[in-house]
Amino acid sequence: MEAFIQPGFWIFVLALAGIYGIFSLGLQIQYGVGGIMNFGHVGMMAVSGYTIAVLVIKYEWSFWWAALVGVILAAFLGALLGLTTLRLSGDYFAIASIAFAEIVRYWILNTDNVTGGTQGTLAIPSPNGFASYTDKPDLILTWISDRLYPIIGDEASRDLSMVLIVWPFFGLFIWLSSRLQKTSWARVLRATREDDDVPRSLGKNVFRFRLQTLIIGSVFGGLAGVFWSVQFALLAPEDFLRIVTFYGWMILILAGATRVKGLFVAAIFFGFLYGATRFLEFWPLSLLSSPERAYLRVFLIGLVIVLLMVKRPQGLFGKRQEMILE
Amino acid sequence: METTKTLNSAVLDVRNISVSFGGVKPVQDVSFTIKENSFTSVIGPNGAGKTSLFNLLSGMNKVSSGEIIFMGEAIQSIHAHKIAQKGLVRTFQGAKVIRRLTVAENLMMAVQDNPGDKLMGFLNPRARKSFEAKAREEAMRRLDQVGLTKFADEYAGILSGGQRKLLDLSRALMADPKMLLLDEPFAGVNPTLVEKLLTVLAALRKEQSITFLLIEHDLETVMNISDRVIVMADGKIIADGLPNSIYENDVVIDAYLGSRRKDA
Repeated sequence: MEAFIQPGFWIFVLALAGIYGIFSLGLQIQYGVGGIMNFGHVGMMAVSGYTIAVLVIKYEWSFWWAALVGVILAAFLGALLGLTTLRLSGDYFAIASIAFAEIVRYWILNTDNVTGGTQGTLAIPSPNGFASYTDKPDLILTWISDRLYPIIGDEASRDLSMVLIVWPFFGLFIWLSSRLQKTSWARVLRATREDDDVPRSLGKNVFRFRLQTLIIGSVFGGLAGVFWSVQFALLAPEDFLRIVTFYGWMILILAGATRVKGLFVAAIFFGFLYGATRFLEFWPLSLLSSPERAYLRVFLIGLVIVLLMVKRPQGLFGKRQEMILE
Repeated sequence: METTKTLNSAVLDVRNISVSFGGVKPVQDVSFTIKENSFTSVIGPNGAGKTSLFNLLSGMNKVSSGEIIFMGEAIQSIHAHKIAQKGLVRTFQGAKVIRRLTVAENLMMAVQDNPGDKLMGFLNPRARKSFEAKAREEAMRRLDQVGLTKFADEYAGILSGGQRKLLDLSRALMADPKMLLLDEPFAGVNPTLVEKLLTVLAALRKEQSITFLLIEHDLETVMNISDRVIVMADGKIIADGLPNSIYENDVVIDAYLGSRRKDA
């Protein structure tokens, strides 16, 4: 129980929550505005994270260029996913998108000589034998903790520096996305969320709007991958399981899918749930072994999503009317 | 009804169009020409192929054979949204409103050539906002015409069936159509509102040069407003002419009005 009151742990959780928040921004514009149910979002994060690791370790690129390419590649894959499967409607697209993310993960898993396979990025063959890719961002993180150390002492950690970088970016991305959602572009997109025929009959190319949305969402997924790769400094295929997508969905549903600004608070709330479920050690849960308890998190998070959908479909901040009008 | 405006050139020229879905042939070898600024009604019993015809004209479905010429251009194989952009705009049976957009937003989304509809327009907020202000102004004017002003900022999902019909019509007009295809605008509407819709349509004919093609069940409703009536049954045109001549046409009475009278 001691770790429960340690600030260090919660700072780590906060950094992670911010990254998940950025990740869920992609789902928000896709589902909340465009009505596109993407269950393969984690694929975009995996692609950008791994692109960075491979380009820096194997090809000795600068981290920044690698990050740029990683995000562009995520956007490109979003376009590819859209061009091939976006003509499927609703649930069918959702299923295809899960398959897409699994293809990405299995490709990473089975391409050992590029991605390191099951052993993760540590096993990426490197010309100088040193499989690390975070040197450049680490300089910045260290610079920040060096400035903080005189003020707060040992609490000045790498995680805290991450929090100080991730959350302002998260805020900036929310602001950008909310501006975008006030344009007439987003108004047409909202119309396509309900109906294809009406916007088509009014001269709007529904497919173009959906494809653009999928790409924008994928860019957010790719950006989350950049922060994720820095936060963990090594990547493995099992970091990008389907559950990650659903963590993003949980933040989205907590916030209310149509309210982008709610993501800020929802991400913190998610972080608390995510972190707190580690400490469910009291009786009667203490009767379970610790690996069994690990599943409690997944179970609880699922329960929260179901309860929200039943009791508050608009999330913490959404307008109920917008969710239930028929 | 007032004498028809100058009926000079053909806006729409439909040449031998057919469509089949498997063994079903909802539209078979249909041809007609619509003159500019005219008001034509397509009537026929359920299953006559009226809505299927509209789906072909608006590009929602593609013809199996035949040609559709709109303003001198073949449109039978281009995308539905492009057809709408050319000025051939349709409404839907049962008035499709976007429930989770406000009434004003429903209208504003219909405006053509909106710079804000392009993603790149995001980078030009000034052009975007001035266009938006104009769109809002026009939307409010349209709402005033049909008496929906007080609902402007409510979700369209709260509107009644009749109000949705009015909104649907106004929204199609926002798209600046040269020709309007109205799919059963009077179905399921109370008689008072039918009168109102007819008044609105008549006023539109005077103010704007729009060519109308309208689907309706009931000949009497559109008798007065139509210049011409096309009667469909079983996917074919069985009569075509002035409203009065249709009323006296034996084929029509047998195929359509006759059976209806028996039902009633």
